[in-house]
Amino acid sequence: MSRDLRIAVVDKNPLRAAILEEGLRAAGHRSVLRIEETSNLLERLRAIDPDVILIDLESPSRDVLEQMFVVSRSVARPVAMFVDQSDREMIEAAIDAGVSAYVVDGLRKDRVKPILDTAISRFYAFAKLKTELEAAKSQLEERKLIERAKALVMRAKGIPEEQAYALMRKVAMNENKKLAEVARSIITAAELLG
Amino acid sequence: MRKSLRIGYVPLTDAALLHIAKGQGFAAARGLDLELVPEPSWANIRDKLAAGYFDAAHMLAPAAIAVSLGLAQVKAELVAPVALGLNGNAITVSKALYEAIAQQTGEVPAGPQATSQALKRIAAKRRGAGEPPLTFGHVFPFSTHHYQLRLWLRSGQIDIGEDVRLVVVPPPYMVDTLRKGSLDGFCVGAPWNSLAASAGAGVILHQGLEIVRDCPEKVLAFRAGWAHAHAEEVHAIGDAIGEAARWAGERANRGSVAALLSEAAGPGVTPATIEPVLAGGRGAGAGLRLDEAAIKADPAHALWLYAQMAAAGQCVFSETLAQAAAAVYAPGLGPQITAPSAIPIAFEPPQFSPSDVHGYFAALRSK
Repeated sequence: MSRDLRIAVVDKNPLRAAILEEGLRAAGHRSVLRIEETSNLLERLRAIDPDVILIDLESPSRDVLEQMFVVSRSVARPVAMFVDQSDREMIEAAIDAGVSAYVVDGLRKDRVKPILDTAISRFYAFAKLKTELEAAKSQLEERKLIERAKALVMRAKGIPEEQAYALMRKVAMNENKKLAEVARSIITAAELLG
Repeated sequence: MRKSLRIGYVPLTDAALLHIAKGQGFAAARGLDLELVPEPSWANIRDKLAAGYFDAAHMLAPAAIAVSLGLAQVKAELVAPVALGLNGNAITVSKALYEAIAQQTGEVPAGPQATSQALKRIAAKRRGAGEPPLTFGHVFPFSTHHYQLRLWLRSGQIDIGEDVRLVVVPPPYMVDTLRKGSLDGFCVGAPWNSLAASAGAGVILHQGLEIVRDCPEKVLAFRAGWAHAHAEEVHAIGDAIGEAARWAGERANRGSVAALLSEAAGPGVTPATIEPVLAGGRGAGAGLRLDEAAIKADPAHALWLYAQMAAAGQCVFSETLAQAAAAVYAPGLGPQITAPSAIPIAFEPPQFSPSDVHGYFAALRSK
């Protein structure tokens, strides 16, 4: 068994970095280090001396890593981007997921590929989680709007809760709008007229 | 028939002609729908153009050459039928370094040779005191910003590595890094120099054109195979860029150009920050040229850039590679431009001549 690979994760999103780290640990990698983007990224990387660097494609710091293969004396070991020009699928999968990998010179492809695969799947897992979180958040906000609008209707028309709700639903159906949109209009109108 | 083109760009003022070609309808008039996609890094631009995610990209001219020569990780044969402008960079230094340089030169403002020699003395003093070398930032290993710094430092016989370290810093982080003291200076494009100055983090020491007049900057790059297979679209976008350049060159449009540029550069950049960047103002401007003569993809520019790359030790010098570099600039695929193109002129010898690139390279190395 070859020695543990040191993996550096450069990501300013702490949640995604945590998800990725967890995935790498689950795959048996014990030496995973997270680096938040800082002004001295290169020094941090030099100190860690990683075998593999995983970086978010949205990070401007990708250009900082680019100098590692050009200025060889700035790092102890030469680093190259993990691209296999024959493996288009791999490149596309990484770009689609939004992640990129750099590896030290001479590291075997079969040792790096599973790491990039994990990164790709974890980046997707994070994107899914983010969508779900946003959906949940907007649902909660819509619910709050509806509650406020309902209270306004109850007060204005002197009707009980169920009737106010039914009225709003009817308007929404007739006008082919979402209930939350109707609620927003009611609140806006109340603010204008109140 | 309408065709759509997906073009990657980095939000900088010199992506302007793309925004003008789209915003003023010059591309649409030629049947092209432009989808302009902002990217945070030059590495992304390179990867996504090479992998076919983009049809074309706003690219650092030397990066397009490096990718074609196989010097920049991903190897792909690229062509640049049209350039997107000339000049626009500047060298900014921290307030402390500015004062130290001014003390040395005894006059403000001093020319680049005087400031470079002053910097050499400052660096020597620091070395004597056991302090770390000065650190200057630029934007990418294959960038004119990098080469402009080198040409300036060369004048004072500054040792890159011993006296001054050069590092890549993403432009959005430049100002903050300078303020924190991790950088002593940088060479970057607009709007970042004006932003550093207005934030009080640094002082603009030299406009790019004080170092190199009519310096090549960005090009519109395509994969060569794609460009040849889609010559009609390539010509159409080239013509749209040509019209955008004529439009930008008209004095009456200067205000609109500044507004468009500030929009292109992203939030927090006002037209007032941009206006001084445009060419025309004597001395004050960074001389970003967007006029028709400035977009000619002159292979001489590629030769000049290749010589800078070789002088920086990024590749060996050979006539074969020089010809390969020159071939990246493909004016035959671009718009017809009758105006003569400008040859980059540095502030001190050696002067470049496209007919003797090797001689120029050799002279650059000998100091």
